[in-house]
Amino acid sequence: MSLADTAQQIRRRDLRLPLAAILVVVALAAPFIGSRYVTHSLIIALIFMLPAHGLNLLVGYTGLLSLAQAAFFGIGAYAAGLLAVHYGTPFYVNATAAGLLAGACALPLGIPALRLRATSFVMCTLGFVIIGQAIAKNWISVTRGDMGLSAIPKPHFALGPLSFTVSGTTSFYYMALAIGALATLAVWMIVRSPAGRNMIAIRENETLAESLGVPTWRYKLLVFIISAVFAGVGGSLYAHYLTVVSPLTFQMYYSTTMLIIVLGGGAGTISGVVFGSLLFVGLTEALRITPELRMIAYGLCLLVLVFWFKKGFAPVLNRFWDMIGGAK
Amino acid sequence: MFSTVIEQIVNGIVTGSVYAIVAVGMTMIFGVLRAINFAHGEYYMLGTFGAWFAVDYLGLSYEASIIVGVLSTIIVAYVVGRLVMQRMVGAPAEAGVLATLGIALVLQNTVILVFGGGYKFFSGGYIEPLSVLGFSLAAQRILILVVCLLVFIGLELMVTYSRMGKSMRAVSQNVECCEVVGIDVPKVVLHTFILGAALAALSGVLTAPVNVSVYGGMGELITFKTLPIIIMGGLGNVRGTFFAAMILGIAESLVATYVGLQFRDTVGFATLILMLMWRPYGLFSTQARF
Repeated sequence: MSLADTAQQIRRRDLRLPLAAILVVVALAAPFIGSRYVTHSLIIALIFMLPAHGLNLLVGYTGLLSLAQAAFFGIGAYAAGLLAVHYGTPFYVNATAAGLLAGACALPLGIPALRLRATSFVMCTLGFVIIGQAIAKNWISVTRGDMGLSAIPKPHFALGPLSFTVSGTTSFYYMALAIGALATLAVWMIVRSPAGRNMIAIRENETLAESLGVPTWRYKLLVFIISAVFAGVGGSLYAHYLTVVSPLTFQMYYSTTMLIIVLGGGAGTISGVVFGSLLFVGLTEALRITPELRMIAYGLCLLVLVFWFKKGFAPVLNRFWDMIGGAK
Repeated sequence: MFSTVIEQIVNGIVTGSVYAIVAVGMTMIFGVLRAINFAHGEYYMLGTFGAWFAVDYLGLSYEASIIVGVLSTIIVAYVVGRLVMQRMVGAPAEAGVLATLGIALVLQNTVILVFGGGYKFFSGGYIEPLSVLGFSLAAQRILILVVCLLVFIGLELMVTYSRMGKSMRAVSQNVECCEVVGIDVPKVVLHTFILGAALAALSGVLTAPVNVSVYGGMGELITFKTLPIIIMGGLGNVRGTFFAAMILGIAESLVATYVGLQFRDTVGFATLILMLMWRPYGLFSTQARF
């Protein structure tokens, strides 16, 4: 290393903290910077970020490719929608119930499914989405069939004498942002914990992990349930934001979208999922691309990601972050 | 009552034949690539669209439209095979799932973009009923049955005796050894893939006069029907696929009549999940091959 290089290295400052501060400010000020439609796009991105975080725990950290995320998303959406329509319960009750119900459904579904190997497991999880849609269509006394649930009230909070309703797009954005931030924090804590390291051990080599005393079966089941809880909470946000839930909430397209977020952003990274949901859901929504073109773009993205960018955007993000931090 | 049951079973066998022709291609592709082809139903859709285009726009006869449908699918399959499927040799199972999901999205939505998302009416085929053994059955359905039998006999002969069939079996057993003895693995993969896609297209063209409606999303439904079949038949197992397709066809037909039409499309996956708990390797394979 020459002297000039060393001098340059010293000159470069660690700009990570200022950048993080700027990002936080932008996130907080977004509804006032952009138009209403931008805010709407960001809300959609935040809603899909939740199931994507859950899927990332499964695919990125534990190495289980699952397509069932849309099923739990749908269960959460219906749970929250039904509670809000019939009982008018506050939002935090609906979201908790949605998450818990999705998690509770994941337990009996996960036990047989996780016994299967790669391909069969994928098929089985796909089956959950298709059967979920059939149930939503045919259990008419509860779900109203193809008509779906409509006029789901806007989320409201009630704590003792205080109560307020999240009515506007801007206030919904802040609520979604808070929930998204909490979810990101939760994933970060899970991943940093010893449990997270065990999950990575299962992803890298399941047999080896088991021989070292990691209870792989329990971990896989637990991660499957946790990912369903994330999807369920995401579903509750979806129901309250769109105010309509139909059997089409259970569709492969949503599972594919969540997969694109995780793989495109970078499976096994948290920042990748956040970035991925902004890019693949937020941006396409903001650009108002027609659904067909969007799905063609998704399909091409999948092909490019699988063969050329196996790690998604994560390496690019990491290099950028290191560069900001002053590394060469 | 009894004759209704028989009639439903016969209908189920016809449906099963349609599924069998599609599924056998899928299971053969799995055999050589170790990858589930999520886009397989899209070739069924492409074949149907090709035939519909030939009849509706070009004014060709139904017989000619079969050729147009299958040929256009073969061209698409050649391109996809060259660009995507050949890269999947030796890739992990997840890569196969994701890449073929991507192809499915691209093919399906391109067709919707070009031809519009609405339902189209397919006119043509032999729909006048024939009386066979006391049943009246549309001639088209009999044609489907006959073609299905011919396809399976042909495949059985090809896989057993022809050079291509032998290399397919070899590749499905051990890719490295094939490379060592000089079998061109990418070529075998490409040929198997094109064969599978062409069979799916043929099945689509043959079913079009029975189903009447043609639309862009029809491939996805067929993919979801054939996925359980190939797993139930034991992945890569041609004979198992045939029987699994028949079982599913009959089960669907009976469920549609006696339980409710709306449950028909769920039969496949419900059966699959129940079966996987009992026999994780498929109904007709004694041990896990993959």
